[in-house]
Amino acid sequence: MGTAIRTSGLGRRFTTGPRRGRRTIDAVADLSFEVDRGERLAFIGPNGAGKSTSIKMLTGILHPTSGTATVLGLVPWQDRTALTRRIGALFGQRAQLWPELPPRPAFDLLGTVYGLTDDACARRQGELGELLDATDLFDQPVGTMSLGQRMRCELAACMLHEPELLFLDEPTIGLDLLGKQLFRSLLVRLNAELGTTVFLTSHDVADIEQVADRAIVVNHGGIVHDAEVDDMRRLLLATKRIEVLVGAAADPTAVGAPALTTTEPFGLGTTLRPAEDEARVVIDVDTRVRPVDDVLQTVLASDLAVADLSVLDPPLEEVISTIYTSEGP
Amino acid sequence: MTAAPRPALGGTGSPGAGDGAPAAPLPRVLWRALTLSARRTAGDAGQLALNAAFYVLVTTVLAQLWKAAAASLGGEIVGYTAVALVWYIAATEMAVNSIPIHLIPEIGDDITTRRIEVELLRPTSVMAVRVAHTVGRVLPRLALLTVIGVPLAWALGGAPPRPITLLLLLPSLVLAMTLNVVLQHAFAALSFWFGEAKSGWFLFQKLVFVGGGMLLPLEVLPQGVAGVARYLPFAAVAYAPGRLSSGHVEPWWLAVQAGWLVVVGGLTAALFTGGLAHMQRQGA
Repeated sequence: MGTAIRTSGLGRRFTTGPRRGRRTIDAVADLSFEVDRGERLAFIGPNGAGKSTSIKMLTGILHPTSGTATVLGLVPWQDRTALTRRIGALFGQRAQLWPELPPRPAFDLLGTVYGLTDDACARRQGELGELLDATDLFDQPVGTMSLGQRMRCELAACMLHEPELLFLDEPTIGLDLLGKQLFRSLLVRLNAELGTTVFLTSHDVADIEQVADRAIVVNHGGIVHDAEVDDMRRLLLATKRIEVLVGAAADPTAVGAPALTTTEPFGLGTTLRPAEDEARVVIDVDTRVRPVDDVLQTVLASDLAVADLSVLDPPLEEVISTIYTSEGP
Repeated sequence: MTAAPRPALGGTGSPGAGDGAPAAPLPRVLWRALTLSARRTAGDAGQLALNAAFYVLVTTVLAQLWKAAAASLGGEIVGYTAVALVWYIAATEMAVNSIPIHLIPEIGDDITTRRIEVELLRPTSVMAVRVAHTVGRVLPRLALLTVIGVPLAWALGGAPPRPITLLLLLPSLVLAMTLNVVLQHAFAALSFWFGEAKSGWFLFQKLVFVGGGMLLPLEVLPQGVAGVARYLPFAAVAYAPGRLSSGHVEPWWLAVQAGWLVVVGGLTAALFTGGLAHMQRQGA
């Protein structure tokens, strides 16, 4: 197995503002963790938690101001060029394919950059096309693709040189529900079939649940939680949220949601949350106590005039808030 | 926790690049980058047509101005006949107009927004690949302007003063364009430290327009200024191809251009190396 990533007291301090009144910000502080080879790790936290800064240090494109780190046995900011040949990186908001061209010529260039022969590069494109179900896309101009299709091609681009470790920074951002699900399943498949270590940053709870086998939660630059996802799911991700839109669409005469009790409005395991408007009912379900489909049945059978209904994950900020409440800052 | 072995993709036994594949030779990478970008530009017929139309318009207007000026001064200005001036302008406009006008701000924007940092994730030279991409992007435009420019100059001014110099014009244009691209990368690289590229862009434009002889032969400038300008790289960007196409058999200009390309290339590489290291240390 072996260790893919090892950090100890890793930190990054930024100095901002004009010369007078300069202030320092610890974007990352005292980060210590290890990731095994072949592991799928979700590195999660709200905006500004230090996720991207950490990924930049681990890929060698940003020097830390304190601490040490090794990635695949190399110090990223000292051995960056050697490391780039062994890692892949996908930044959800930074494309590396050109919109006017199909991916294939860009793959040819990247293959050359990584020292692949033309034959090896062509073979790899064939294999990745099959694995990512994207062969047809490789000859289609990137600009004509949906975001989900483009992200599959971007993923192929960073897997071309068969990296041992894949860094993904918010890869599912902007994707629709189906696109997200497909992308997550591809990551799991890449890990299962190639043994690629996956280091994923996200602030989407579903990314953790469906991709990772372990999650590190960061906030204010430090680690606030580090656990197997199964444990985390039991302890922290056991809440599902049901949003019910009531009134006009179902019954034009209805003016809004009826009054409900805050505690157990739909029986055991349910809690009523404050809603944005009176046409909306928001219910939290503790899935350790009661399955969500059972609550859905109760809601549909109730007097509530249901116009629309969705089952959501609680926002990550709330999960982290739960972590704080349970463990202290 | 998953800890699967790492077979080659599809079980073909192909070695991963990370497993010790030899580094790609830089010229091969640059050639691939250049041809890829050339393909992109060649596929954009609308942009090429716009570029050509702008060239025809500007060259026609400037050629008429210089012809009128020469006529009012007895048919010659600082040793250039009206015909020579038309060929001079046609060549300098080919060399300079083939380059995207906002190149410095574009690169500067990539630097200041830190989009450039993802390029550090590839085992190759960031600056060299960027230059290769830009040269590839510009080559089809230069080829088009040359194909249009030669007959246009012929139509506006008549036969070239010495047709033999047209043979020197072609390599001179390629060297001028490449040097121009590298110089613009050097100016843009200053934004690693200054945080903006607009001022450098403004300065570069003025230096090429006047000090480089794009709008007028350097001999028109005051003697002292012309003397200095001739020894600056900007003259190799515009004045050199203009001088050759206007009937001056001075092949040593090609050596001057190549020399500047080596010097400015080294300087730009140093600026990018220093700038990227600065960015890695300083962060946001």
